[in-house]
Amino acid sequence: MSNKPIRILYIDDEEHNLHSFKATFRKQWDITTTISVVEALEILASKDFNIILADQRMPIMTGVQFFEKIRDQYPNIIRILITGHTDIGAAIDAINKGEVFRFIDKPWDYVYVENAITHAYDIYKTREDLKQRNIELQKANEELDKFVYSASHDLRAPLMSVLGIVNLALLEDDLQSQNEYLELIRKSVKKLDTFIINIIDYYKNARGVPVISNINFEELITEVQATIQYLPEFGRLKITSDIQQEGVFKSDVMKLRIIFNNLINNAVKFQDPSKENPFIHLKVEASSEHAKIIIEDNGMGIREIDQDKIFKMFYRAGATNSGSGIGLYIVHEAISKLGGGINISSVYGTGSIFELNLPSINK
Amino acid sequence: MNFINIILIDDSAFDLFIYEKLLIKSGITRTVKTFNSAREALKFLISEESALPQTVILLDLQMPDMNGFDFIDAYAKVPEGLKNKIQIFMLSSTIDSRDIEKARSSPYIIDLLPKPLEIEVLKNRLA
Repeated sequence: MSNKPIRILYIDDEEHNLHSFKATFRKQWDITTTISVVEALEILASKDFNIILADQRMPIMTGVQFFEKIRDQYPNIIRILITGHTDIGAAIDAINKGEVFRFIDKPWDYVYVENAITHAYDIYKTREDLKQRNIELQKANEELDKFVYSASHDLRAPLMSVLGIVNLALLEDDLQSQNEYLELIRKSVKKLDTFIINIIDYYKNARGVPVISNINFEELITEVQATIQYLPEFGRLKITSDIQQEGVFKSDVMKLRIIFNNLINNAVKFQDPSKENPFIHLKVEASSEHAKIIIEDNGMGIREIDQDKIFKMFYRAGATNSGSGIGLYIVHEAISKLGGGINISSVYGTGSIFELNLPSINK
Repeated sequence: MNFINIILIDDSAFDLFIYEKLLIKSGITRTVKTFNSAREALKFLISEESALPQTVILLDLQMPDMNGFDFIDAYAKVPEGLKNKIQIFMLSSTIDSRDIEKARSSPYIIDLLPKPLEIEVLKNRLA
């Protein structure tokens, strides 16, 4: 939150009250004063306030009537009534109609006034914070809703495919076709398994406690490479790497593994079959402060219209061969959790370059 | 029963393969045309127009780029003459009540059939 001073509007037809209030508090608060309720309405329309003080006895309308008038239009501003006489009738009206937060007796005690305003501002801030939280919660709920919708599709669809294949296989007597169907079932189950692993990664990434350790990029990349080179879609792909690491780079190895795994897997999956020498080139420059990671491929590339959308959850760019649309979302989440950034430059049909910049997490 | 012309629209290569085989095996049809993109399917329908025989479309719901409901929105604008030759069934694994309601209330979707497709259910709906 900013350290802006509390913004107060004070309305009183006795001008010397305004002056003495201003003289006492102008150093700590942002104070606007007026002797007229009509002018007060104009000021309210042009400036945001946290707190309004109004005298009860004023010409045209009383403080309570003024509060009643502005209450619906400016519900957030905390209202404080200043009275010269202890008038029970005015007090009851103030609470019931004007919904005032506090009364201040005239002549006032400066410590009391200061306390009243500090408390009023606490209430103001608490309400604002609550409102902000509600907005965030609503957003989180909407995201959860979307997540459940898409996740349930991605969990059920491969299962229904398997059931479909089983139904088809039951109509078939030929053993050769049966084997073909088993192979399809295997692929479909694999797809489901990949999705489940992704969901678990997502969860670990979102909720897990980060474990910061020294990162050895050489080791990390070798490890990730080992898990993917036996994939059936790996094909003739060549992975080369150029790793320059000086000093101790610290980060969360779990998140880095998720990032490398997804990006390299994508490069494997979206190879361009028409190209003679499919490649992935990894380049890492790491110091004790920062790591720059470049993952370049000569795959299918990403269409320009898709480039700013691919990091959205469940966004699937291609019609064929595309996954569930969760992988790059997880990558993006992991990178922002590590305090870094990612850029893509890609030419459709030529290839893609992902550039990551990550700070070393030196606590 | 006469053979019917069927078009399958589904982004899943598995499902296209499975349902094409199933439909042919069942004897319900001899010609199945498959599209892995709803946009491509729509282009095809418009380009065929007068040449298109009576056709049944089995339309998936969740697809990238143009999903099943997007397809229906675009389909609403094709000439009536073309629509008269087409019957659309949505074929989806969705169990989301909003999807089910939306499919039910669409004037262009005859019914939402759950995946995996049961041939008997389709036969009954076409009879």
